[in-house]
Amino acid sequence: MKKYRKWMQVIILLVIAGIGAFAIGGSFASKDDPVPKAGGQAPDFSLPGLDGKVHKLSDYRGKVVMINFWGTFCPPCKEEMPDIQAQYEKWKDEGFEVLAVNLAESKITVQGFVREHRLTFPILLDEQMEIRKKYGVVNYPTTFFIDRSGKIVWKQEGQMQESFIERQITGLLEKM
Amino acid sequence: MVENTKCECGHQNSIGTVLCESCGKPLFDEHGTSLLEMRYDGVARRSQKANPTWIGRIWNFFSSVKVAVYLIVITLIGATLGTIYPQENTFINIDPSTYYKETYGWTGHLYYLLGLSRTYESWWFRALLFMIGTSLVICSLDRVLPLYRALSNQQVRKHPQFILRQKVTYTGDLPIAANRPRQDPAFTANGHTAENEAAVQWVNEMAGILRKKRYRVRTDGTALLAEKHRFSRWGPYINHIGLIVFLLAVLARGIPGWHMDQYLGFPEGKPVKIPGTPYYLENEKFSVEFYSPEEVPKLKNKDQVVPKKYETQAVLYECVEHCGASVEEPVLKEVARHNILVNEPLNYKGLMAYQFDYRVTPQLVSVRPTLKNKQTGEVYGSFELKMNHPQETYTVGPYQLTLQRYYPEFGFENGEPVTKSNEPKAPAFVFIIEGPGLRQGGEPYIYFPREIDKVNFGQDRINAELGSRLELSVDSMEDVKISQFTSYLNIRVDKALPYIWVGAAIFMIGLVMGIYWQHRRIWLRIDGTRLSLGAHTNKNWYGLRREVADVLGKAGILVDAKSLETGGTVRES
Repeated sequence: MKKYRKWMQVIILLVIAGIGAFAIGGSFASKDDPVPKAGGQAPDFSLPGLDGKVHKLSDYRGKVVMINFWGTFCPPCKEEMPDIQAQYEKWKDEGFEVLAVNLAESKITVQGFVREHRLTFPILLDEQMEIRKKYGVVNYPTTFFIDRSGKIVWKQEGQMQESFIERQITGLLEKM
Repeated sequence: MVENTKCECGHQNSIGTVLCESCGKPLFDEHGTSLLEMRYDGVARRSQKANPTWIGRIWNFFSSVKVAVYLIVITLIGATLGTIYPQENTFINIDPSTYYKETYGWTGHLYYLLGLSRTYESWWFRALLFMIGTSLVICSLDRVLPLYRALSNQQVRKHPQFILRQKVTYTGDLPIAANRPRQDPAFTANGHTAENEAAVQWVNEMAGILRKKRYRVRTDGTALLAEKHRFSRWGPYINHIGLIVFLLAVLARGIPGWHMDQYLGFPEGKPVKIPGTPYYLENEKFSVEFYSPEEVPKLKNKDQVVPKKYETQAVLYECVEHCGASVEEPVLKEVARHNILVNEPLNYKGLMAYQFDYRVTPQLVSVRPTLKNKQTGEVYGSFELKMNHPQETYTVGPYQLTLQRYYPEFGFENGEPVTKSNEPKAPAFVFIIEGPGLRQGGEPYIYFPREIDKVNFGQDRINAELGSRLELSVDSMEDVKISQFTSYLNIRVDKALPYIWVGAAIFMIGLVMGIYWQHRRIWLRIDGTRLSLGAHTNKNWYGLRREVADVLGKAGILVDAKSLETGGTVRES
């Protein structure tokens, strides 16, 4: 009887401790996903591309990735596109990749622009703007430079010069 | 030190017992005259042991009501701290790392740095609540089990010390005994000797009177125990169970998928995905009614309009295929349909959509243009052209239209055609039309659905010669679909809510049980001719005294209810 009672006590305490771990542990986990910043890990995502394939960020792990949020309605986005294309061609064989996330435009509109500017890197369609929200992007264009380990190294808001892009890429490519 | 916990009646009590569990004799202060401490019927708390182990120590800590009170006080202070500045979750879109500093100065920044801007989600606040919950469970277990045992094993014949040290007591000679010659004053327990035949009879008579008062009565020769409404003793513990269910339900909101609260805009005619769910909601039509000026006479501003009714005709779809990241369009299946009014949300399996706000956002949704031969007037047919994600190819009679370019808000920039935004404010479509009488590979044709754009940008001029042969146009407003409003809905999921209600209901039941009934007990014994009566209740002593006086009166002992407080004196009549 005594022994039985002691075991009951232990079991009750264990159950309570388990619930407690869930309750208190939850306060650390339940923080809303913070806006990704330089220095943090880039949140993973999958989006369908204009090329008819689904692109997943983590599949590009090991490469230097530039995520560019853009739209054809945004003049600076359009202006930097040829520069991005030039840099892409220059560095893609060294392990550089561009993921251009379009902001919920109609496919036809995007296609027309891509054809006209002969863009060859993957264009992703963020139809419900979920990834834009996830990355906390409010100004266009916004570009994230991600190193080979998937860490955000730089977040750039606004148009970039080609020289700036090149500096970023070469800096990241050198780092192994 | 070994404490002797054996009572003179032979019962072995556990450590910490105040009143012998069997006969009720006080184990401390045996010869005192002060009132007995009747809490938990004097039984030992379950965890009171001589040499507790470390598990026992943890248990003892939470078993203490004093600790519970401190915990509650600390929690209250903590909760108060959270009300100094608004909590982070009361804002929809802020960066807390700068917001508090900018709005409230350095104190605000300190508030943020201390984590007080998220008081109620903080680990320490949750830890306090958790400790209160633990204390509730252990305090209850430690008291309810021994109390249950003590009340189930009550002896009828109690020790005279126990009876006479109750708050309500009466001692006196029995009226029947006075008429009889005293034969043998020696008292024998349960002895049915001739001299107490009368006493037994009196006790039985008393039992009848008490039963009429809805007491449950047990007799043991010349001793009696009457008891009623024992269940009210369980009220506080049922109340605690309710609280624990409530706390667990609140905690369960942390389980993924159990809780959601977000605000989304739904333009008419376009299903919008609800993030974090497989559902899409479409606002088919939104309408708003206003009060006429006669209906609201007391407006300061005469031009102010007061809305009377908002209504969103909503359809809920579930994505059944190609959900998430997929190249294919998601396949949607209608699962619910409801006209959402204020306080009449759409409810589908716990997913609630409440009317929250609206905005006037006139926008083209789709048009249904007809392809005609401009010279002969022959009509080839029509097709639906959506402003959002238009399809690529259309077949109209003998003609094949391929959409080449789409500009939602057409304009020129440095002589180049561009779109100024992603909203169909001035849509322009560039088709390649193939078919009879047209060049191999097709000829381009630009189409502006809005008449004003058609004129301003010169559709006919751009289309030149082709424009004089073929024409794409809408015949009437019936072929034009316009979204007038964007309805803002509050999308909520709260799977814990039913459990919160269950917890609250149990809490209430416990409260009512404990408050509206009292556990009353009356003990009496006759030793020779001497009647000793004691009574106890957990509240409403006034009622108990009156009841005891009434019962005694019916049995022939007239006594003033008030005097029972001090041992009772027979009323002189």
